[in-house]
Amino acid sequence: MLLNMRVNGINYALDVNPRLRLLDVLREKLSLTGAKEGCGEGECGGCTIILDGLAVNSCLVLAHQAEGKEIITIEGLEKDGELDRLQQSFIDKGAVQCGYCTPGMLMSCKALLMKNPNPSNEEIKEAIEGNLCRCTGYIKIIDAVRAVADSKEGGN
Amino acid sequence: MKDDLKYIGKTLPIHDVREKVTGQLRYVGDMMLHNMLYGKLLLSSISHGIIKEIDTSKAEALQGVIKVFTYKNSVDKKYNSYMWYKAMDTVKDEVLFTNRVRFMGDRIAAVVATSKEIAEEALTLIKVDYEELPFIDAEGALVEENIKIHPWGNIMSKREMENGRVDEALKKDLTIVEDTIETQKVHHAAMETHACVADSTPDGTITLWSPCQVAFQVQLIVSEALGIPTSKIRVIKTAMGGSFGGKGQPILEPICAYLSLNTGAPVRLEVSRAQAIIGTRTRNATKGRVRIAVDKEGMIVGRDIDVLVDGGAYHTNGDAVALAMGKKAFRLYRIKNQRYKSTTVYSNTPIGGACRGYGSPQIHAITEINIDNAARAIGMDPVELRLKNLVHPYDKDPLNGPDLGNGRVIDCLEKGKKAFNWEEKFNNRGQEGRFVTGVGVACGVHGNGYYGAHPDYMMMTLKVLEDGKILMLSGLHDLGCGTITTMKQIVGEVLKIHPDNIIIPEADTFYSPYDSAGTQASRVTFVCGGCAQETANLLKEKIYKYSAAILECTEDAIEMLEGVITNSEKPSDRISLSDLLSKVRYQFKREISVTNTYESKANPGVYTVNFVEVMIDKLTGMVKILDVLSVSDIGRAINPGFVEGQVHGAIQMGIGFALSEEIKLDAKGRVTTANFSKYHVINAPDMPKVKVILVEEGEEYGPFGAKSIGELATVAIAPAIINAINWALDINISSLPATPEKIIEALNKKAKQA
Repeated sequence: MLLNMRVNGINYALDVNPRLRLLDVLREKLSLTGAKEGCGEGECGGCTIILDGLAVNSCLVLAHQAEGKEIITIEGLEKDGELDRLQQSFIDKGAVQCGYCTPGMLMSCKALLMKNPNPSNEEIKEAIEGNLCRCTGYIKIIDAVRAVADSKEGGN
Repeated sequence: MKDDLKYIGKTLPIHDVREKVTGQLRYVGDMMLHNMLYGKLLLSSISHGIIKEIDTSKAEALQGVIKVFTYKNSVDKKYNSYMWYKAMDTVKDEVLFTNRVRFMGDRIAAVVATSKEIAEEALTLIKVDYEELPFIDAEGALVEENIKIHPWGNIMSKREMENGRVDEALKKDLTIVEDTIETQKVHHAAMETHACVADSTPDGTITLWSPCQVAFQVQLIVSEALGIPTSKIRVIKTAMGGSFGGKGQPILEPICAYLSLNTGAPVRLEVSRAQAIIGTRTRNATKGRVRIAVDKEGMIVGRDIDVLVDGGAYHTNGDAVALAMGKKAFRLYRIKNQRYKSTTVYSNTPIGGACRGYGSPQIHAITEINIDNAARAIGMDPVELRLKNLVHPYDKDPLNGPDLGNGRVIDCLEKGKKAFNWEEKFNNRGQEGRFVTGVGVACGVHGNGYYGAHPDYMMMTLKVLEDGKILMLSGLHDLGCGTITTMKQIVGEVLKIHPDNIIIPEADTFYSPYDSAGTQASRVTFVCGGCAQETANLLKEKIYKYSAAILECTEDAIEMLEGVITNSEKPSDRISLSDLLSKVRYQFKREISVTNTYESKANPGVYTVNFVEVMIDKLTGMVKILDVLSVSDIGRAINPGFVEGQVHGAIQMGIGFALSEEIKLDAKGRVTTANFSKYHVINAPDMPKVKVILVEEGEEYGPFGAKSIGELATVAIAPAIINAINWALDINISSLPATPEKIIEALNKKAKQA
């Protein structure tokens, strides 16, 4: 099928097998390998991207379901060589260890802040409840989101 | 300790953090090579049996399938993936592909195809006829004599170690408290599953890209399994999406190398999450019977520990874990009479391997739950009982193991007791109503490398580069914990150069000087960091010598700061490191570089104490962790932010061990928890706040006084949680994980007895 979608501000028309998962399309057709497969069943959140403003597991989305959609991946957060404040906060707060969950974690947090610039800690935890991390115990990740939300520019 | 340090004790970000937050870091699963093929594994669907017939013809006929490999058409050389140096004496019982199935997850076949979808489809077309044999679990292995998992039987090893006279001590007029405590098999749950890429040239030289912990071990195991010389095998350590010991033993690498050699193409081999849970490595399950004898004053007079260790289907390091568990039992408390016995068995269950703590979480679960029960039996505060018995700094190991060094566990417990407000919380259990609260404590000990057990040395080259930066060549592996940044901080401190100016590529067996043991055994900061400090000092001497010659002054007059060398007696005489190198090359025809071999001289104890507050719903048995305090004696924190991060992650892992994580098997030995909806890793809403306190009193042989933390931090949390639950509810949970079902069962039992 011909798949039309907009990824990180660029329009694509791709000839893809409709049975492919969006995760595979991003990783293999567009070489956007930031999204990771940690389980393939929507349980780990490693493949999280933002689809029409919502954080979704791209391993659970079939290619045809992305038709006409607006997608942001981890590669789309940095603008003109400048990190998104959330990315910078992850660095500043030490929220990154092995980094494998980081792209998915960032996208879940970004989607949260896009909708809710000033979330409570409970809301932050809820936003990443589907993102597993084995390294950090989530504590510094929550701190990083908190810091952005509490900054004078706010979460958005 | 002196605080005139510039880079030690500072929280700097992990070296590759920018690539990580932008999604640019290439893990091995992100690698693409020209004409790369995709490998997938078929694992056995039964736990025990013999392959009667295997038919791969349909899979081979599928368009896009290049080749299918089974025991029929692959190399049949025995190896032990745990081995990391050739002189190691161990049992070799693994092969690439087996015709004798020893657990659900044994490797039956591999498909190589032009896409991973085709490879996956081909797996479904392979037909295997099994003759099933009875499933043997660890307890069964103790008694089963007729059916042997391996030809030599079902017992892997037995160990015994003793100081004093235990049998006599336990006969005295003392309070004897006996417990039998079980710990379960656990999945490491690194977010990146196992994967590697192999490429080969027509002359049979293999290059492997692997997120490994010991590149030279990967090289050795590929050599052993395939029967090819190590000089034909190059291993390059890639970015690592977490390991926790799970990627310590080379599992996919020999297979991937074989697939590439036999297809003449680069191959990427990856496993699914289910295959990672079932078919890689696990934390060994254990069952420990412990009897402790305490007097009225709370002094431990004797202790007798007898542990059954479930090694799983293959030998790997089952015996080593049992040995490591035993050694730890003698390095935490002063116990004059103590015996540790272990029996390690084979079973038709997932294979055991290294897992963060290497037996320490298991032995501490067994002994620390029992110590609390002893305190309860004599009506003493468990903190008080521990304080009376814990080891003191510079105690000797009663088994003549390496000295404990500046072990500060008493400091940890005393500081923690105050900071946690222990006494008040302990004496005020909220036992009324549906939700009850309680607190628990546990202590733990771990090590710092292999000194006293295995060769523990490292080679390292440091050299000045043209632009004045410093290059370190060494066999280091960053597992995502900050090893590279830690080494940069150590070298940067010695040379007074910002760590950003130290360049450290990771292990590559073709270029890295040899390292005897890799990232294992909590040796990296202590041993590799010790090597970095010593080598940097040697480089500094050399820089000073050349600088003095070129600036025409004495070496004593030389000062160096951020790559600028000054004659302190005539400060206008200065030269940059970059210019110094140019002049040295021109005048002396030499490089400014040193290669050094550093051998570890000690293996002190590191200590942690965990305090936990829990709330339990008596109706559902659900446990909520309200608060955790982790106090650790780590000598000195090179990077306090990393240390905190290690503790946070270790607590997350330990809570799972205590409450929710378990690889479960059915009656036929089939794994029933092969995904994250059934295997419960603690997520963000279930994670409590964790307070971290560090005791930094320095350790003689550690770099700037530093000791290990990453493994240590997970060894005491589970027993602290169980102790809190048992104290809150006045029950005796003795089987991990403490699931709601077990808690309700214990409450019902208590109600019946009342």
